Amino acid sequence: MAAKTQTLDDAPTLPMTEAAYLPGVAYDEMFTPDGEVRPHYDPLHGRMSTLGAEELAGRQRTLERSFLLQGITFTVYGAENTTERVMPTDLFPRIIPADEWKRIELGLAQRLQALNLFLADIYGDQQILMDGVVPRELVLGAPSYRREMQHVYVPHKAYANVCGSDLIRCQDGQFAVLEDNLRVPSGVSYMLANRDAAKRTFPGTYRAAGVRPVERYPDLLLSTLKSMAADWRNDPQVVVLTPGVYNSAYYEHAYLARLMGVPLVEGRDLVVHENMVYMRTTTGLRRIDVIYRRVDDDFIDPLTFRRDSSLGAAGLFNAYRAGNVVICNAPGTGVADDKAVYAYVPDIIRYYLGEDAILPNIETFLCREKRQMGHVLENLDKYVVKAVGASGGYGMLVGPHASQKERDDFAEAIKADPDNYIAQPTIQLSTAPCLVDGRIEPRHVDLRPFILSGEKTIVTPGALTRVALKRGSLVVNSSQGGGSKDTWVLAEENGHANGNGNGGHR
Amino acid sequence: MMLARVADSLYWLGRYIERAEHLSRLSSVMLNATLDQTDGAQAVWIAMAAVGEPGDGTDVSSFDAAQALVLDRGDPNSVVSSLARARENARQVRDQITTETWERLNLLYLKVTDAKAGKEFSDGSAIFLHDVIADLHLFKGAADTTMSHGESWRFMMLGIYMERAQLVSRLLEVCFAESPTHGQVDDHVALVSVLRMACALEPYLRVYTAEIEPRHILEFLVFDEDFPRSIRFATAQIEQHLSAMARAGGGERAAPERLAGRLKARLQFADVDELEAVGAGPLLTTVVNECARIHEAIYETFVAYPLEMRLPA
Repeated sequence: MAAKTQTLDDAPTLPMTEAAYLPGVAYDEMFTPDGEVRPHYDPLHGRMSTLGAEELAGRQRTLERSFLLQGITFTVYGAENTTERVMPTDLFPRIIPADEWKRIELGLAQRLQALNLFLADIYGDQQILMDGVVPRELVLGAPSYRREMQHVYVPHKAYANVCGSDLIRCQDGQFAVLEDNLRVPSGVSYMLANRDAAKRTFPGTYRAAGVRPVERYPDLLLSTLKSMAADWRNDPQVVVLTPGVYNSAYYEHAYLARLMGVPLVEGRDLVVHENMVYMRTTTGLRRIDVIYRRVDDDFIDPLTFRRDSSLGAAGLFNAYRAGNVVICNAPGTGVADDKAVYAYVPDIIRYYLGEDAILPNIETFLCREKRQMGHVLENLDKYVVKAVGASGGYGMLVGPHASQKERDDFAEAIKADPDNYIAQPTIQLSTAPCLVDGRIEPRHVDLRPFILSGEKTIVTPGALTRVALKRGSLVVNSSQGGGSKDTWVLAEENGHANGNGNGGHR
Repeated sequence: MMLARVADSLYWLGRYIERAEHLSRLSSVMLNATLDQTDGAQAVWIAMAAVGEPGDGTDVSSFDAAQALVLDRGDPNSVVSSLARARENARQVRDQITTETWERLNLLYLKVTDAKAGKEFSDGSAIFLHDVIADLHLFKGAADTTMSHGESWRFMMLGIYMERAQLVSRLLEVCFAESPTHGQVDDHVALVSVLRMACALEPYLRVYTAEIEPRHILEFLVFDEDFPRSIRFATAQIEQHLSAMARAGGGERAAPERLAGRLKARLQFADVDELEAVGAGPLLTTVVNECARIHEAIYETFVAYPLEMRLPA
């Protein structure tokens, strides 16, 4: 972990000066290792220095209150009781300059294109498996592989219509992909809500910085979904399918439905009749063309998948196979974001596109390989070990932070079921300034951009920056005490007409 | 076009909002009546009887009774439970109601479920209840001025007026229907309390001056054409919303409208002399029963209709 040891007492109180902020060994988003402010952070840094502790705390309170008021909450499932909580939000935006974003944008589009081709292939002729690029049993044996999807027609080969990839910035300042989320990625409502809040918190700085807007996300999502409908359906009916009000991401489902202007349906609203999907309205049944489902594969159709599910609709999958409705994302996309398949993504990109991956992977060891497992077990204190099937920060061992007992227990688990585990070196995620207990301190952050893919592939010029609010922690998941902050992607200097005030620094 | 489940939620959202307001007002008037030198026991009894818990008036203090009526989460018929259910329904149709409307309700919900709510109530119950009622008015105002007055809004209004017609009928039944166990309310303080519970005191005074008599109260709260809390006004609204929905939907949607029209006509062509001749009880019972039938018809027509009838040929 961090080489420099800091204590809270080392940090002087506000207002902020360079000396008050003590970045560790990780790459810091605002400061260079020499303590210089990076040019793209200048306007924000200038503003931060003039605001006192009281003022900042006041703005933070206003921010949190506005989230609570709007009901932007997530549900925490605890042992004793289930509560609604506001997602902690930090008021300082994270800023990404145009040239860095360009690379991210190209890299993400490339990656999603290759993964969609991969999905079309493994659910089609399986050429990549015949050529031995990815081990056959790794794909066909994965629980997220859906043989029901074999030879189902998917328009534009767009299996994953909404993808949320997790990027991290390594110590050398380069972005790398930590994880792909092709199932039902969430968080986009926080991106939009954070932006809304940041505009109110730092209006002047926002205007001066020249930030690319993210507000078009809902209508881009709608046109992506509509592009998946069959051509002969005029004005296709799109709906958002939610598991219901008790789901932790319910706020987001309702938010997207509201901003797209489409109905938010639950499984019990749907009726499948002769392979057509209808919803029950006050004026009778109405046909549905596209379902943006926020329900996991397992639960969408009790006839095809889990029989005990009441969150989907019986017969939905057959209607999909018959081409009478489109399910977005397609069932079975999870196999491409499987943590073991992840290790092969650079090969997958090379295989389909003949290009090298623009955004690198994190070095990954597959415990299914005997030699790699041996290496992992010997170096458990250096690695982060993840269960292949788990997500949300559950089922994970952070080697350097774990006790000997936790490591021993995990070693047993790995030996018992090696296929289920992968290991990655502990990466020092980059840090960004956050307001914590009245001080500005560095906290580790990651980056989740959202990519839409239908007829066209669109990378939203913004992202959700997730923050590990605990000092030194590298786990950013909201279920594990993470928060978020707005992410400003800056426009190209000359692409921004009204002189954005950061021109002089480059 | 809207989802049947959504229509159901909006309807109940309206009902719970109206119920929360009514219960808040009952508690507020009840507490206020006990402040005076004169005996407020009758007002306490009216309020408790109107929520279906008449008791004998001695076992609990009126303050405890009011506090339970407002803040007891275990009681499904309390203000806090009604607001929690209203919010639960609103959350399920969050995409249908405007942010302005949602925020009013969410804010109020956060206020009454806050850990400090109990203390706030005991420190100043009058102010607390006044604020709750004012917030509910803000909610209705926000809904009125920011929501499109289409089907979603109509279902919510339908819920509000259905609940109102039943609550006012129930209140009047308790006070003025013949009963073997208790006489009619005739005490001046109690009569004023009844008007306050129906939020009708000031409008009543403008029509009848300060002569407060059961006959006038009945006339005003049952038959007045313009007062928004009279039963006649509420039924006219119910009929109007249902007929707008029937027009939008075609033949099979007319059943609830017919029932509502019949009830409205009944109230339109009766008067207080007739009411006095046979007693208020039968008419008020008819109103409650007819409302229940309209409620069922709404369900059969818009929400829980049999699928076979609606499948495409």
